[in-house]
Amino acid sequence: MYNFKLHAIVLILIIAAEMIGNISFKIGIGTIVLLPMLYALIMGIFTAPKFLKIVNLKDMNDASSLIGITLMLLMARYGTLVGPTLPEILKASPALVLQEFGNLGTVLLGIPVAMYFGLKREAIGAAHSIAREPNVALIGERYGLDSAEGRGVMGVYISGTVFGTIFFGILASLAAAYLPVHPYALAMAAGVGSASMMTAAVGSLTVMYPDMAEQIAAFGAASNMLSGLDGVYMSIWMALPLSEWLYKRIYKFKYGVEPSGEDAAK
Amino acid sequence: MTLKDSLIVLFIVGAMSLVANVIGTPYGVIESIPGLLILIAMAITGMAMAKFLPGNIPAVAYVVTLACLLSYPGVPGSEYVNAYVKKVGFLQLCTPILAYAGVSIGKDLDAFAKSGWRIVVISCIVFIGTYIGSAVIAQCILKALGQI
Repeated sequence: MYNFKLHAIVLILIIAAEMIGNISFKIGIGTIVLLPMLYALIMGIFTAPKFLKIVNLKDMNDASSLIGITLMLLMARYGTLVGPTLPEILKASPALVLQEFGNLGTVLLGIPVAMYFGLKREAIGAAHSIAREPNVALIGERYGLDSAEGRGVMGVYISGTVFGTIFFGILASLAAAYLPVHPYALAMAAGVGSASMMTAAVGSLTVMYPDMAEQIAAFGAASNMLSGLDGVYMSIWMALPLSEWLYKRIYKFKYGVEPSGEDAAK
Repeated sequence: MTLKDSLIVLFIVGAMSLVANVIGTPYGVIESIPGLLILIAMAITGMAMAKFLPGNIPAVAYVVTLACLLSYPGVPGSEYVNAYVKKVGFLQLCTPILAYAGVSIGKDLDAFAKSGWRIVVISCIVFIGTYIGSAVIAQCILKALGQI
């Protein structure tokens, strides 16, 4: 933590990234948004010995040992986003509360597919949740972000940040067009724990059902607040244990042996 | 890492976030500092709770819960907490974290490159899974309650 060279480099990255600011461009079906955090990440990667050789192995190790704590500051801010919405959340209907368990659908669908593609421990990080900030913080704390699990969760986090908004916008329209599901149910599902993804999904739905626009927006926002509240607890007590369980089963099925060594749970 | 070390790291990152906040939001140095100090206090308290309270519950859960309660309208002081932390941008707090993450990724670059395209595919599957899973449950409950 007293690696001043590292902090100076990071400071320069932050200044450069924030000076560039948000860049968004329309690509016909929606908008892609690039945020300063993404530039900071990419510029950070380019300081590596492989590219610009600005940092060495010690700097990289120091950086990775700090990330867990830096995430706590973000989590405090995250909690203060949820707190003021609590009175609204407590009024939520049973359907709104119970659909939260649908977030476990990521595990049931994601872990098998990830492992089919040959991912091992990365699958746990990548598929236990939709990898928003609290999930990144949790994986960082439990496994370390430089672990295989950490790579998985960071990969999905970055993917979500770059094209999550556009993806949810399209997904909601497709679901509305082809699934025999009521728009209210689709609106509730839109609250995945990311304001921008929820807004995109709700936006698509309100265009398709203008006469229900108000209810759709309300359900979407309420469900998103709820996901913000229960996301961490759900991950700790349900999604992660379920992921680990499923991982073990599939590992044995696919490779014929129990996971061991670096493939086993820590 | 001891709590004292963690606190020093929080202050370093707090200073980084301050720079990001001053550049990336309309708020100046003086306006941003109280909110950041409140966030640092919440973070270190949550980390201390994780360390000393039984149950092996991750610090993430304590920090989020604590921040949530202290900003709950009606809790004494919550209006101050909310007024100050509102001036600290959520996205600006992410920038320093991803800058450190970027530097640290350098050592696992090969592993990242190896799983890269797969992770992008998994991301899509994960998004579809959570959306369809929630929609199906909501549909069943709304139907059972006769609300649709």
